[in-house]
Amino acid sequence: MTTDTPTRPDGRVTRRPRGAPSRPRRGWSRWAATARALPWLGPTLVLIAGVVFFPAGYMAWTSVRDLSQFGVDNGPAGFDNYARLLEFTALPRVLTNTVVWVLGVVVVTVLISLGLAQFLDKAFPGRRFVRLAIIVPWAASVVMTTTVVYYGLDPFYGIINAFLVDVGLLDQPYGFTRNAVPAFLTAMGIAVFVSLPFTTYTLLAGLQTIPGDVREAAAMDGAGPWATYRRIILPLLRPALAVATIINIINVFNSLPILQVITGSIPGYNADTTTTLIFKFIRADRQIDTAAALSIVNFLIVLAVILVYLKVVKPMRDD
Amino acid sequence: MRRLVSLTAAAVAAGLTLTACGFGGDDGGSGGSAEDGGSTTLDLLVPQYSDGTTALWEEIIASFEDANPDVTVNLEVQSWDNINDVIRTKVQAGEAPDILNIDAFSGFAKDDLLYPAEDVVSEDTFADFQESFIENASLDGTVYGLPMIASARALFYNEDLLAQAGVPEPPATWDDLLAAATAVTGLGTGVYGYGMPLGSEEAQAETSIWTFGGGGSWTDGDAITVDTPENLAAVEFMKQLIDAGATQPDPGATDRTPMLDVFIQGQIAMAVGLPPTIGQIEERSPDLDYGIAPVPTQDGSPVTLGVADHLMAFRNDDDKQDAIRAFLDHFFSTDVYLTFVDTEGFLPTTKSGAEGTANAERFADFLALLPDAKFYPSTNEAWAATQGALQSLVGQIQTQDAASVLQQIQASADNA
Repeated sequence: MTTDTPTRPDGRVTRRPRGAPSRPRRGWSRWAATARALPWLGPTLVLIAGVVFFPAGYMAWTSVRDLSQFGVDNGPAGFDNYARLLEFTALPRVLTNTVVWVLGVVVVTVLISLGLAQFLDKAFPGRRFVRLAIIVPWAASVVMTTTVVYYGLDPFYGIINAFLVDVGLLDQPYGFTRNAVPAFLTAMGIAVFVSLPFTTYTLLAGLQTIPGDVREAAAMDGAGPWATYRRIILPLLRPALAVATIINIINVFNSLPILQVITGSIPGYNADTTTTLIFKFIRADRQIDTAAALSIVNFLIVLAVILVYLKVVKPMRDD
Repeated sequence: MRRLVSLTAAAVAAGLTLTACGFGGDDGGSGGSAEDGGSTTLDLLVPQYSDGTTALWEEIIASFEDANPDVTVNLEVQSWDNINDVIRTKVQAGEAPDILNIDAFSGFAKDDLLYPAEDVVSEDTFADFQESFIENASLDGTVYGLPMIASARALFYNEDLLAQAGVPEPPATWDDLLAAATAVTGLGTGVYGYGMPLGSEEAQAETSIWTFGGGGSWTDGDAITVDTPENLAAVEFMKQLIDAGATQPDPGATDRTPMLDVFIQGQIAMAVGLPPTIGQIEERSPDLDYGIAPVPTQDGSPVTLGVADHLMAFRNDDDKQDAIRAFLDHFFSTDVYLTFVDTEGFLPTTKSGAEGTANAERFADFLALLPDAKFYPSTNEAWAATQGALQSLVGQIQTQDAASVLQQIQASADNA
């Protein structure tokens, strides 16, 4: 991340030398540079506008329209769609679920990944093989991984259920995927499992940018392993940690397939997050407009979560 | 650090894209009307009934195009899981297919997107449909849907398990069913009396079987009526079955297909099945000793849930009407039609089809039930949302009071 910026042993990034020549008419030259770059930036800008801003804008537009269940636009709806959302009685439970889902999965993922990354950073025989093995959940299709667990937990023919009964932990097969709370927890476990590779590798990359002399210096100063980790390694790891956390928050928040496979057949809204609720609004209730309103709310929530994270944790801080 | 900032910005943008998914549409050309010298292109969107559906349609289209060289038919096959989303997106984008095969037509008819059926088939074809199906395919006196295939439900029972439990004959009434199912579960051999699938896959079908069997209905002819005394009695009976332990565990989250698999494996004594269930048993467990009986009802009088899927023609472009009529007449010509119905294993909806079907004997139990079939009120525009609410909510009777669950579903229906 900071490979081309000279780093002092205490981890501070060196500032630009004070005596650097001041540049006159800086604003003008910057505009001219931008104008010159435009032909090269153009295709990217068009692409971003086409795949990011247009769909988002269209979604915002849809959220204030009155759409029939088959998608015919019946004119403006003002904020009726949002009002319908607020009247939705299961909303508090769904929001709580969403918080539990995102917090639980991201915190557990990051904690486990910190450990795994530390482990993979050490030299040991067979390290290359272990590093490869950790990629597997990432390489496998999420729906596939989830379906394997779903079948394994089936009360009638699932091998996990059969195993638990055979070793005497259960008297009879239990419907892990048939009740809201256990199914939700199962889905969280799978979400952690599939999030680990990316997080671990991001943190591992961060660990490998920490120069060995920093650790040596810490050891010379008499810091124990825990103090070194807490006072030296973790602060230096902060940029990597920030990227891993933010991308995980977004991913986990927007994740549909795991919950869809595991909790999709559960009646009611006790195992829904806002993302799966959007899906239900479209599929079951045929309310495209309400779903669009919830998508907007969803987007605002994820933005707010990230802003709060940036504000509280200050991962971008230079010192 | 600036890179991190831009990375974060990219991440936020990625989040934006992910949240925004929902806008989509494919550019499958639906406009191509006059391409090479007066030729017409028809877009046909159909759901996948079985692994052979695509090949079957391709065959039908090939024979049609041989006879009508100036018409080209573009086939698009979608899974039942996706077809509702696909058609919605297409309609929203103004790219509706010319001909659509799906269950419910009333929403499209209400949005004024469809040709009346009589405008897109010949008189002979139109007169060949069974009256009960035509009635089920009309909205406000106009027929919009062409009944294409039918299906009905019957009780499949495992003769071995019923015999073990000392039940001499399949139950005909609710009380018989409760007693028989409780007796089977009471054997204590890990088998269950009645398989009740109230998961999101098809909970509306399972619920309708019992509400229809208790004299209930989902409509009073005008509005959707979910929370009625008859429906409540039926749902309370379902809850009674669950509470008595007569069903498999967690019926609220059990989907139909996996439940029928368990029946086929012989671990459930009774379950409501469809005509294709016969073929599944032949294929997966040919030794299963089973029988088929009418679905038990409150007082034993026969009622079954009938389902008809429809073909419908969208009014995209007036110069396509003749081509659409030619194609639909070709599809409903007796030989072509029977090839489709018999290969897919459904019940025919035409009079000539009922006489000619190769499956008359095999489906005798179901064909006998057809006169007593009741249908979903699929012409009611609020039904689609009601069906969705039934699918996602009715399973809650496992843990909640039946009346309050029906009230929730009624509220969704009123909202639609």
